[in-house]
Amino acid sequence: MKPRRRSIYQRILDEIEKEAHIHPNYADLQNQFALLLMVEGEMERAEVHFLKALRLNPKYREAILNLAFLYMEMRRWKKAEEILLPEVKRNPRDGFLHHVLGILYLQTGRQKEATVRIRKAIQYHSHYQDYYKKKGMWQRGTIHLDQKAEKALKKVHLDPYAQFHNFIGLNLAQKGKFAQAVKELKKAAGLKPDEFIFHANLGTVYYYQGAYSKAIQEFQKALKIDPLYGMGYANLSYIYGLMSRTQEALRYMEKAVQLNPRYADLHYNLALLYNDRKQYKKAFFELKKALRINPHYLFARINLGVLYEDQKKWKEARREYKKILRITPNDEHIQKRLKRIS
Amino acid sequence: MLKEDFVIQANIRQMLTRTEINVSQIEFGTVRGVVYIRGTFQFSRSDPSWDSDKAKDFTAQTLYSLEKKIRRIEGVSDVIFQLNNWRKEKGHWFHVKIIKREEKNET
Repeated sequence: MKPRRRSIYQRILDEIEKEAHIHPNYADLQNQFALLLMVEGEMERAEVHFLKALRLNPKYREAILNLAFLYMEMRRWKKAEEILLPEVKRNPRDGFLHHVLGILYLQTGRQKEATVRIRKAIQYHSHYQDYYKKKGMWQRGTIHLDQKAEKALKKVHLDPYAQFHNFIGLNLAQKGKFAQAVKELKKAAGLKPDEFIFHANLGTVYYYQGAYSKAIQEFQKALKIDPLYGMGYANLSYIYGLMSRTQEALRYMEKAVQLNPRYADLHYNLALLYNDRKQYKKAFFELKKALRINPHYLFARINLGVLYEDQKKWKEARREYKKILRITPNDEHIQKRLKRIS
Repeated sequence: MLKEDFVIQANIRQMLTRTEINVSQIEFGTVRGVVYIRGTFQFSRSDPSWDSDKAKDFTAQTLYSLEKKIRRIEGVSDVIFQLNNWRKEKGHWFHVKIIKREEKNET
């Protein structure tokens, strides 16, 4: 590792250690701290903090998986298996868990059990078929381990490292260090290209940076992996909005609302898009939906009042403004609007 | 021609996420070019070495600069801040204590 890189990691490790010390009961911090320790090679200390995270939140999936990966790194196969088996029992259709167990069994020479798990991984997530084929481990429904496949096998359990780069990338992005964040997130996506969240995070950082076409590309990659990732469509809509390409913005926001019908904010944004295109009927509909979800959504109510005013529906406009003044009685703008139509 | 509200809204969203302002504590909306910002204005992280006066000065400066930036967005005709911990009076930002509901009820 280059010294400059090393110092970034060390600085973040120190920060998280301090935070974990201040907030010892935050499972998230314990998990992050343990992950950083693990990548630094401090396996025993990492184990202590993963276990602490799990004591605080026994259902914390990320910490469970990280601990299993740690044990696999430490070649404590039995321990890793003990963690993964109950998880797979809880989530029998989780392809990733079957995949990890398959890898564990392959590493320990239990090919028969590995085959069962890999078959299940493929059954629940078709992506794994291509994955094993590409690695040369899967041919005609059975496992093949030649020299090339053996070599590939040694590199397969890289998930915690991908998580690590993802975490570092997000941490740097929070500090506004976007260029460094992009480097880390690219590493994460490179290690685990099928993980939609890495592409989504990369897209978000490009979006913050103002690199819109790269952001669009990454969100589209994320959506290809997980087409039900509604916020990905919303982010694409915001990016097209920034580019003043409202036709595309509208298309993506409609999709985002369709996938997340309970998000008042998305209905509000969709209403703005309809309103801008003078599709007032649809704008009314979306604003009312936003208000049904969150009756205190002030901006939606202001927009609704203004729309009623446009339609010369004074009574309805007054009703909306009065509702707003019940929440914010000192809102001079609304007072003025109400006075004008009273 | 007025810039579309959605475009303004998207610009504000990006502007806020690029700062250290705690966006989970504020809401924003755009109504025919008028931008509304409501909620509690605070930072997601602060420098522990700062005393309360320095932190207040920095927050006030951030509010001035935020308002300036928002007004520079094409199509924005006004910016209305409805913050419960900061108030602008005669062109100056003042920190105001948040009165909790229970305290209010007691008086």
